[in-house]
Amino acid sequence: MERRDFLKNLVVGGLALKFAPGVLAQSAGPELAVVEGESPAAITREAIKVLGGMSRFISRGDKVLIKPNIGWDRTPEMAACTNPEVVAALVAMSLEAGAKEVVVMDHTINQPKRCYARSGIQDAARAAGAKVLFTDEQRLKKMTLKGEWLKEWEVFQDFVEADKLINVPIAKVHSLSRVTLGLKNWLGAVGGNRNQLHQKIDQAVVDLGAFFKPTLTVLDAYRVLFRNGPQGGRVSDTRLQKTVVAGVDPVAVDAYGATFFELKPQELAFLKLAQSRGLGKFELEKVRIEKRAV
Amino acid sequence: MKRERSKKYFWLQRLRILTQAGFFLIFFILFLKTHYPGEDYLKTTVERFFHFDPLLFLTASIASRAIYAALLLSLITLAATLLLGRFVCGWLCPLGSVHQFFSFIFKKARVLKPRKDDQASLAPKYLVLLAVVAASLFAVNLVGYLDPLSFLYRSFAVFISPLVNFGLAQSGNLAYWLGLKSLGQGISQAAGNLALNGVFQNALLIGGLFLLVILLNARKERFWCRYLCPAGALLGLASRFNLFKLKIDPEKCINCHLCSIHCQTNARPYPAGEWRSSECIYCETCAAICPTAAISFPLGWKAEKMQGVDLNRRRVLLTSITGLVLAPIFKISPLRRRSNPALIRPPGALPEPEFLGRCVKCGECMKVCPTNALHPALTEAGPEGVWTPVLVPRIGYCEYYCSLCTQVCPTGAIRELTVEEKVTVKIGTAWVDKTRCLPYALGKPCIVCEEHCPVSPKAIQLVKVDTLTPEGVVATNLAPFVNVDTCIGCGICENKCVVMDLPAIRVSSIGEHRSAHNRLVLPVVEEQGESKP
Repeated sequence: MERRDFLKNLVVGGLALKFAPGVLAQSAGPELAVVEGESPAAITREAIKVLGGMSRFISRGDKVLIKPNIGWDRTPEMAACTNPEVVAALVAMSLEAGAKEVVVMDHTINQPKRCYARSGIQDAARAAGAKVLFTDEQRLKKMTLKGEWLKEWEVFQDFVEADKLINVPIAKVHSLSRVTLGLKNWLGAVGGNRNQLHQKIDQAVVDLGAFFKPTLTVLDAYRVLFRNGPQGGRVSDTRLQKTVVAGVDPVAVDAYGATFFELKPQELAFLKLAQSRGLGKFELEKVRIEKRAV
Repeated sequence: MKRERSKKYFWLQRLRILTQAGFFLIFFILFLKTHYPGEDYLKTTVERFFHFDPLLFLTASIASRAIYAALLLSLITLAATLLLGRFVCGWLCPLGSVHQFFSFIFKKARVLKPRKDDQASLAPKYLVLLAVVAASLFAVNLVGYLDPLSFLYRSFAVFISPLVNFGLAQSGNLAYWLGLKSLGQGISQAAGNLALNGVFQNALLIGGLFLLVILLNARKERFWCRYLCPAGALLGLASRFNLFKLKIDPEKCINCHLCSIHCQTNARPYPAGEWRSSECIYCETCAAICPTAAISFPLGWKAEKMQGVDLNRRRVLLTSITGLVLAPIFKISPLRRRSNPALIRPPGALPEPEFLGRCVKCGECMKVCPTNALHPALTEAGPEGVWTPVLVPRIGYCEYYCSLCTQVCPTGAIRELTVEEKVTVKIGTAWVDKTRCLPYALGKPCIVCEEHCPVSPKAIQLVKVDTLTPEGVVATNLAPFVNVDTCIGCGICENKCVVMDLPAIRVSSIGEHRSAHNRLVLPVVEEQGESKP
């Protein structure tokens, strides 16, 4: 964090404390930040700022794990993996907020080294100061998920051991769950025969979402994949949306994400399941949303 | 008389060992570098060693009736051998160095006790060479089985590499178990970057042969080089001038036989006049070991006569005829009439007859494949095609944007492709097995194959399917339907199918672009006269 920002925060924070009760100020703030703009990094930074700044989520000395979607051997313009600049901005902000260590990892679907390299995420996140690690089979442990359907499953321990988890999915269509957003992104934190989860995909993503409980969900909708999901293959399968949606409530983030695909949140079975499990709310009219453009 | 060993040859011998170690190291580094480097194209010509192998040049060219330009580099090896003899075997060949290393170990362990006056015939390797060359005249390429570089590389790729990979995973596991988290992490990340392939079909056979060949060194020093190696035989035939000629100083020689006993290839440095120049690999052992420094290699311009190898006309003729007679046996497989559905070749592979003519079974493509998809064939490609690469989708699939296997083939059996060209190449077609597919057979949802299909628009399309369950309920689900025109046969659908043992969608070779007759649907001629693929 730059000194000027720090001083500014100090002054603003001090004023806020003086003129409004702290708890009230917190709860009255926006729950969902929706920021549009030309630069993926700038809109990511702005979205976190809208939510109250990264220091609201990351404490000094935290070990942070950032989970983008690095599933496919696809370059950024295919919009199959999270935008590398969005990931890098979150890495930098976490470090600025005092994180001791930021790890970026995903259990890829295509060959890991190819996904890490060709998505551009490995280079961008490393340059921002993160440790970019391949998932390691040796770190899989069968864990009790206490889900409605998934009672236990193999989980990479890195995701459990981290102090703070930031979920950074990309918005894409999917022929079974219709869209793949934040909740479905947790399929990349587990091992085992993940493809069997498709037999009851809506329940599976909710069970996983309930288990992982991220500190923050930042949905990359800079370039969304609206056709041939979840990996596209042609630039014409993508559309520039130039938006980032961030929030603490993973259900609200996904609900907003659905609107990019002309879907109403209530049309998505997994969002209803998630709300009834108490993971958050999908009725966007009940969510305090702040929209900005930079 | 003063007894003193030659300092000069002592140091020359050390230099030779150093050179051997250096070349083996280069070979090994190139081996490790044969993997996805983090970008689409390999910058290093990792297969360079093979280009210097005149045996591959000779046999692959004759068998395929074509010359692959890169292999012309092997003429350098040939020219050097013509002048200097078989120094390549003694100084440069990585498999030769492996054999020598183990011979040395076995000698130190007293498992191998070289005898004085070994009369065993050195002819077998020349007969191997003759048989291989004769077979290539009939367009049968058998060189890969015993070519030293192919043999070593294949053994490393298919046998050693999975062992190392297994070792890495287990040491990582051990480190975590001992609480050494950062060590475990370091090991796993290194393994991720090396991208060593972990499993191979026929690994036991190929690895077993490698171990056997190494163990043979316990019987005779450099057993392979003396009796088996067809490349050594070719270089032996090519050695003519041997500019450095062995000379024994009769004044100094005490007739101790040490030089002959320890000659690595039984080239008989002693007695004087019996030196077999075409067997000498210039290891300098004799000159270094001589207790009186009686042996030296002075420069001499006279051509040497090949001697001491009992290659009489009858044996030469007999072997050539055997090679020619055996050749057709490799060709009379039914696969010449009908393609094997399981014979899925890597993208860029030439049409089967040309492919078999060129492939030297080296395993470069199997090493570089990032998904462990390419395996040495056993029966899939007929007798001629044992250990040629075959794609096994159940183990690995062809990564859509990857053209690495086409970049490393040393003989052009797999044509080099850019990534843009590669994504258009069809290597087979996927077929849904409706008796095992979840939506069709069980009425359960699953779109995993469609999700993984890398083609855009997807070659696996979804159709609504009704399945009547025993309860009398009709389950309607989306089910896969393969578009045979756009499917490229990459096999990721088969690889990721949740039906683990026998996947419900499987790729067969039908429709592969390289074959004119293994075709499924003829191109449709549209009214305007345009043809659609």
